[in-house]
Amino acid sequence: MKKNIIKTGGVIVSYILKILMIILLIISIYNKHIEWIFGAGLGIIVSFVPTILKRNYQITLPIILDILITTALFLHIGGGILGAYGIIHYDTLTHFVSSFLIAFLAFVVIYILDEYWDGLMMDKYAMAFLVVFTTIAMGVIWEFNEWITDLIFKTQEQWGYNDTIKDLFVDMLAGIAMAIIGVVMIKRGSFDELTEDLGEQIDKKIIKKGMNKKNE
Amino acid sequence: MSKIKIICRKRCFSFSFLLRIVMITSLILAVWKKDFVWVVGTFIGLFVSILPSILKKDVKFTLPWLLDFLIALVTILHMGGRLLDFYYTIENYQLITRFFISILVAFIGLAMIYILDEHWDGLRMDKYAMAFVTVIFTMAVGVFLEFIKWINVTGTYYVKTNNVLMLNLSLDTIAGIFIAIIGVSLIKSGRFEKMTDEFGNQIDKIVIDKFEKRN
Repeated sequence: MKKNIIKTGGVIVSYILKILMIILLIISIYNKHIEWIFGAGLGIIVSFVPTILKRNYQITLPIILDILITTALFLHIGGGILGAYGIIHYDTLTHFVSSFLIAFLAFVVIYILDEYWDGLMMDKYAMAFLVVFTTIAMGVIWEFNEWITDLIFKTQEQWGYNDTIKDLFVDMLAGIAMAIIGVVMIKRGSFDELTEDLGEQIDKKIIKKGMNKKNE
Repeated sequence: MSKIKIICRKRCFSFSFLLRIVMITSLILAVWKKDFVWVVGTFIGLFVSILPSILKKDVKFTLPWLLDFLIALVTILHMGGRLLDFYYTIENYQLITRFFISILVAFIGLAMIYILDEHWDGLRMDKYAMAFVTVIFTMAVGVFLEFIKWINVTGTYYVKTNNVLMLNLSLDTIAGIFIAIIGVSLIKSGRFEKMTDEFGNQIDKIVIDKFEKRN
């Protein structure tokens, strides 16, 4: 019962954020802001990926993941269209939310592999460490992407040394936050509930198929 | 053990020994130049490089020879950079040092994961997953090194530009991938087990067993 209420609440929040993104798209069309028309359009499509995965491929992502994806996109698009990136520390906030999303995704993947794949068995504290390392490493890859974009297209994605260090530090904080939350959730058994559906689907569609192919 | 292996091992130990002599020379040079910050720095470097030998004598602790060699090499490179100003006079010297530091970090990472996989009940990992974690680990430790430089506790001058930072992080990634590839190949052939066997057993006795008994 409680689980259903949380799920319904989560779906409502997710749809409110999607509707707000559509409003932001209309604003950018009204302002003839070509870059953000494209950005908002793409963001809306990406925010519907969880829905598409569920309808077309019967893969159910945890509702928290859906909300995190939509929130990260909403903050980025909202920041661009409404000029919120000018607000002090807004960039740090969006970076933290994106990194937290990555950390959550990493924890889900590691936990599911630990539960369903023979190739991995991990203590929960080792998982926490790996989540922090993975989040930092993904942050580095993101910085590579910005650095290379700046080198090739002469853009200014990276604002300088201090800003890059700050971004990496925020990545680490997000990874640590998720690692602590994850361990607490595993201890309580709520992480298992959260990832159960997705785990079983991934097991059926990917892990078992992969093992069958290997055996053939 | 085959003759070639014995000769190779002896040579590697000799090289490692030679590197330590160079380090002692660096220490003398630092005293002569009255560069006392670097006297302390070189002393710490020398201590780190001979640590495996000290441990071996007192606690019967044997580091894999490659690890022993890498510790000595990295310390030498860093000391050379500081004492002989190679960081400023030789172009890209800092990048070379950084690459070998990352190789050392990656090797330590892979060895620790492999030993934990072999001896600790809390970890079982496929070799390809180990390779992936090695890369992730090396990249993350590289970021921690950059944090240390950024905080600059020692007051040492470091080149702090975005380009150098990104080059350093690139080298960490390359070193991680390099050791991951070599590591998987060594694990497949069984040579990694031989290399870390003795060390793993000692870690198991000294750390893992005690930790598991406590829990």
